[in-house]
Amino acid sequence: MTPDVTPIALLNVANNMPEDAELWDGITEKQITDWETKWKPDLKRAQLSRNVTAQLDQSQHWDWRKKSQALEGMLALRGFSIVCNDITQGLMLVDTTSKRALIESQRGKDLVYIDYIENAPWNRSVLYNPPLYSGVGSILMRAAIALSEEEGFKGRIGLHSLPQADKFYIKSCGMTCLGQDPRYHNLRYFEMTPEQAQEFINKGS
Amino acid sequence: MTSAKKTMTLNLTDIEMSVLEDLCIKKDLSKTAVLRQALRLYQLVEVRVEKGDKLFFEDDKTKEKAEVMML
Repeated sequence: MTPDVTPIALLNVANNMPEDAELWDGITEKQITDWETKWKPDLKRAQLSRNVTAQLDQSQHWDWRKKSQALEGMLALRGFSIVCNDITQGLMLVDTTSKRALIESQRGKDLVYIDYIENAPWNRSVLYNPPLYSGVGSILMRAAIALSEEEGFKGRIGLHSLPQADKFYIKSCGMTCLGQDPRYHNLRYFEMTPEQAQEFINKGS
Repeated sequence: MTSAKKTMTLNLTDIEMSVLEDLCIKKDLSKTAVLRQALRLYQLVEVRVEKGDKLFFEDDKTKEKAEVMML
């Protein structure tokens, strides 16, 4: 199936100018090839040259080939990607079926659960100063909110955050932290209510 | 992001319709959305059971597990 492509823009951090990019409603072989041939070697190089420990890069063990294979034919799972300059800049996998809201005002209602979300290594400030593009995480979050609205979930989303990203979900996304989850590697669990989703969309960043 | 959709007529008994309507209220979803979620969940369970997995419900407090027999 050919993914839907939506034109977007990413900010080139070095010259502070927007660049044309695309949001793909899918993860195709192109994205997986980029991950294998561009992301992984770049991550290794950046880690070596900047002496970044695994502690600072907690998503490095994610295998996007396996994850994309799990997507195939499954109605409950959806993949998204961002492409700029013909190179994959971000990837996200969401589950629309298996999880329910835990936050009191929304308890038991359906939400879009972000299973995995990852930025290309060169867009991460922990690896590159300055990073190449900014805005990848926010655009993927907006895509998750849009999907939640399209499904009738009113913008509700949830995710377990890697410690390196906690600040982004609290400060930039305005999500509510429901504390560490002992059933999921003790990662912090975050949710976004319909009101918080609207606020995030209105903010436009 | 919207895929092309097809329309179908669904015939339900009174009790089935009543359950569907209750779920719509409880979940704050339309009938279409509830049925779509049901289909996704059904597929998910089928795929896992076909792989040889078992389906359990666990009591959050007692940790007691009850297997749902899927034959």
